[in-house]
Amino acid sequence: MADMRSSPRNSQSPQSTGRTSDQRNCLLVVVIFLIVACTCGGLAITLGSGLWDSLFGQFDQDEVIQPVPWSADSAELTVAVSPGMASVFQELAGQFNRQQQRTPDGNDMQVQTLVLVPEKMVEQSLNAPSFQALSPDSSLWLNQLEQRWAKLQDADAGEESLIPIGNRRASNPVRYATSPVVIIAWESVARELGWPERPIGWQEIQRQATEHSNFKWNHPSTSHASGLLTTLAEFYAGAGLTRGLTPEAATDPQTLEYVRAVEATVRFYGEGEEVIVGRLAAEGRNFLDAFVAQEQVVIAWNQSQRGERERLVAIYPAEGTLWADHPLALLELGGTSPEAGGSTAVTDNQRRTFQAFAQFLGTTSVQRQLLAAGYRPADLSISLDEPGSPFANTDAVDWRQPQTTLQVPPASVVEVVQNVWWYTKRPTNVYLVVDTSGSMEGAKLEHTREALQAFVNQIRGDRDQVGLIEFGSGVKLFEPLQPLDDRGRQELIEQINGMEADGQTALLDAVWEAYDDLQRTGDEEAINAIVVMTDGRENASAYSASDLRQRFEQEQAVTVVVFTVAFGGDADAGLLQEVARIGNGQFRRADETDIEELYKIISTYF
Amino acid sequence: MNRTRWIFVAILLVALLIVGASLTWRALSDRSGTDDGLTVERPDTVTVRVLTALPVEPWVRSAAEAFNATDPVVDGVQVEIVAMDGLTALGRWDRNDFGALPADVRPEDLSEAEQAALRDFPTAWIPDSRYLVELANASYKERLGRDVFLTDGEYRAHPIAISLFTWGIYESRAEVLEDRFDTITWSTIHDAAVAGGGWPELGGDPGWGYFKLVVPNPRKNVGGLAAMIAAGGEYYGRTDVGVEDFTNPEFQAWLGELMGSVTDFSSASAYTAEDFALFGYSVGDGGQLLESDLLQNMQGILTRWEDPLMLYYPRYVTWFDFPFTVWIGPETSALEKNAALGFQRFLLSESQQEAALAYGLRPANPNVAVDASPDSLFVKWQDRGVEPIVPRADAMRSPNRDVLLTLLRWFDLNVVE
Repeated sequence: MADMRSSPRNSQSPQSTGRTSDQRNCLLVVVIFLIVACTCGGLAITLGSGLWDSLFGQFDQDEVIQPVPWSADSAELTVAVSPGMASVFQELAGQFNRQQQRTPDGNDMQVQTLVLVPEKMVEQSLNAPSFQALSPDSSLWLNQLEQRWAKLQDADAGEESLIPIGNRRASNPVRYATSPVVIIAWESVARELGWPERPIGWQEIQRQATEHSNFKWNHPSTSHASGLLTTLAEFYAGAGLTRGLTPEAATDPQTLEYVRAVEATVRFYGEGEEVIVGRLAAEGRNFLDAFVAQEQVVIAWNQSQRGERERLVAIYPAEGTLWADHPLALLELGGTSPEAGGSTAVTDNQRRTFQAFAQFLGTTSVQRQLLAAGYRPADLSISLDEPGSPFANTDAVDWRQPQTTLQVPPASVVEVVQNVWWYTKRPTNVYLVVDTSGSMEGAKLEHTREALQAFVNQIRGDRDQVGLIEFGSGVKLFEPLQPLDDRGRQELIEQINGMEADGQTALLDAVWEAYDDLQRTGDEEAINAIVVMTDGRENASAYSASDLRQRFEQEQAVTVVVFTVAFGGDADAGLLQEVARIGNGQFRRADETDIEELYKIISTYF
Repeated sequence: MNRTRWIFVAILLVALLIVGASLTWRALSDRSGTDDGLTVERPDTVTVRVLTALPVEPWVRSAAEAFNATDPVVDGVQVEIVAMDGLTALGRWDRNDFGALPADVRPEDLSEAEQAALRDFPTAWIPDSRYLVELANASYKERLGRDVFLTDGEYRAHPIAISLFTWGIYESRAEVLEDRFDTITWSTIHDAAVAGGGWPELGGDPGWGYFKLVVPNPRKNVGGLAAMIAAGGEYYGRTDVGVEDFTNPEFQAWLGELMGSVTDFSSASAYTAEDFALFGYSVGDGGQLLESDLLQNMQGILTRWEDPLMLYYPRYVTWFDFPFTVWIGPETSALEKNAALGFQRFLLSESQQEAALAYGLRPANPNVAVDASPDSLFVKWQDRGVEPIVPRADAMRSPNRDVLLTLLRWFDLNVVE
């Protein structure tokens, strides 16, 4: 009964006792929860973020993942390199890659190369390039990059920073090799000019070209350092100066008249020295008497010919020259954001690869390889006239030269010269002869339209004229030469967009028509050229290749150069090579992936 | 034991289990190298990042390698050298590119990502001259209301080496200039620069073209600014030259003529003396450059061009003292600051000061003479005009911020544009 005794405390009914028990249990659960939570919290702090991250961090990371062109730990460095240095650079990059160096986190350090003309490197570096480092042929381009970058930054910021220094797009460059820009001539031509007894200058070459119509010379366009230097030298000579060129002096009518007269003697412009060397090998002195390129070309040519062909010699212009100094710089891409169409930052591993590669280029072994290839190594402890050096025991190059350099005017004047050059350069009359036979239907025609549009957009001279001939079973469209002002350019692009594929392939008839019109026009001052493309085989022309050859040989009121393009694997390469030979031009192959780039390259010849 | 006690015992067991598991986890984590905890423990490695002016960078880098290899001061200290021209660094401090925190923010308040961004913050700075430190301090005083580099006390700036600006001229050209002008000064160099007939008019070889002056591009090398200030000093015949002097149209015309004889500012790199050696007399007959830079390139010039450089000391001298300056803000830890001081002491040790002689730098430690080492470039190039003791000269006063900006603006408007 004692158990049955009730007390105020125990006087609850079973029901009420059960409620109390439930409440106690609830309280216990809360206490347990609090203890466990506190313990876990303490643990999380004690253990730091490691456990927390391992459990929950993944979600945070997922939130910040954004599509990027290269991974955050990428150690692969892509370097844009100028065409003249490309082959040597690629070889050195290969050697570096074979060393299999690794970053501290175990990634392979790899260097890839992308061949670009310097002017394009600058343009692409300002936006979202596919490369992280660049090696143009001259520091001039890096300076241009910085100037344009600074303008963009100032425009973004709205005002200049207090100390307006240090906000750069590229790191301090490393130089690994140099070579002065020289006038290169066959030894016999050089001797006729007075080499080596007396100094020869830009003005003498210019005079030789203007006074002797059979003197053939060439320089690249202002997209290359050697082309830019030659153009500067012409402007200096035209203005009667050797330093202190101003925008006023550069745009003086007398200066422009002089430059126009000199430029009228240029055979063609083109891609740069590597292509010229290839054609020298094929055609010898018939191709050119002289051209402007790096001193290294002389050494490379003379080494490769081993005395079997005439030597080339370097003429160091008396008024002065410019150096191709081959800087290598890392881009500072951190300032742009993917949202703004910019690229992601260069990764720490890519920086490590850049440093390791720059160090590799400075090693004695690499520096000696560069010397052997004809460059002047950046390592000043290597003597240029030591035994075995390509500079020793030869008079084709002189390591004590150049004695002086031309003054590089301020960037604003260089820009004026580059822009004005388009108005002084030799004008161009070029026919685009395009196969639109049935086999071109679909993607091929679409890519061709894009390539032709790119070509038309690259031609910027106000005196340049472009015509279009579309052929199938015969000439389907004949759009005569017209200047490429805004209206002319638009009309031509509309014609290109209107092209349709059908019929057979009357290639030779179409070339004949283009040649016919260029002869009829008879513009001796201009570069006259035909760019013909086909994806198939000739099967519908009234004229034959021998008819064409005869015509080219017999009727030469003006010289016409023919570039031929074999589009795809089914094109008749043999016939196209023959036509290029007849037209003293070049034969090139292309497919759907690179035809646009090829047309852009061909446009640099005009 | 009633149910309630059982439950409490169970709770205690669960808690003990969790604590035990956590300790096991921590032990494993320690073994794998991670070390995060509530308590501040000394990390395995303390990294000291030193922004270093270009003229002393090869020596400081070599010293850092020796320091890292021997660990003479504190276990685990690693010194990283970041080469940066003094003016470029000043521009970056000025824009706060390195990411110093606002005055009311502490590092522990930052998110993990923000803390990670601070890991690259420079621990110390060795600019070319102490006036750059003062300008950086002035910039941060506006922003934070306090100095970020101290001028006194333990963390004050200590010069680690000394160099000065001297004339370096190719011997063949120097002989002609001396015949013509007797002495090499800014005034005679100006006369050579404006000679309309170029070298033939001065008595030199026609193949040399015009006289070509070498001046560093001040946007890449603070030496360009030093050259303009030294030219101003000689023009006015005094060491204290201010904004009103540099904006004087007559002086600007004179300076413009001097700068007009520079062949190429656009391709000039931050390493002017190296350019001078690499491209030889073709780009410059001579210029006023840092003595140590010239000395470091003497052998290369001789090997490449066979025409040695001759050195001449000017009357109005600009000195660089390369102060080692520790950042005192909260962005770097006390351990890092102390480790930086350890590296500073190492640089000032007699052995490292003697090593600096091989880089053409004059010792900051008064116990070390310029001929103390057989590798001293002051000994090697004595017959090329190098003076172990600088002849009597007037030291130019350091420019203030207004002078600096005036000169940069003038350069941009009259030379670059």
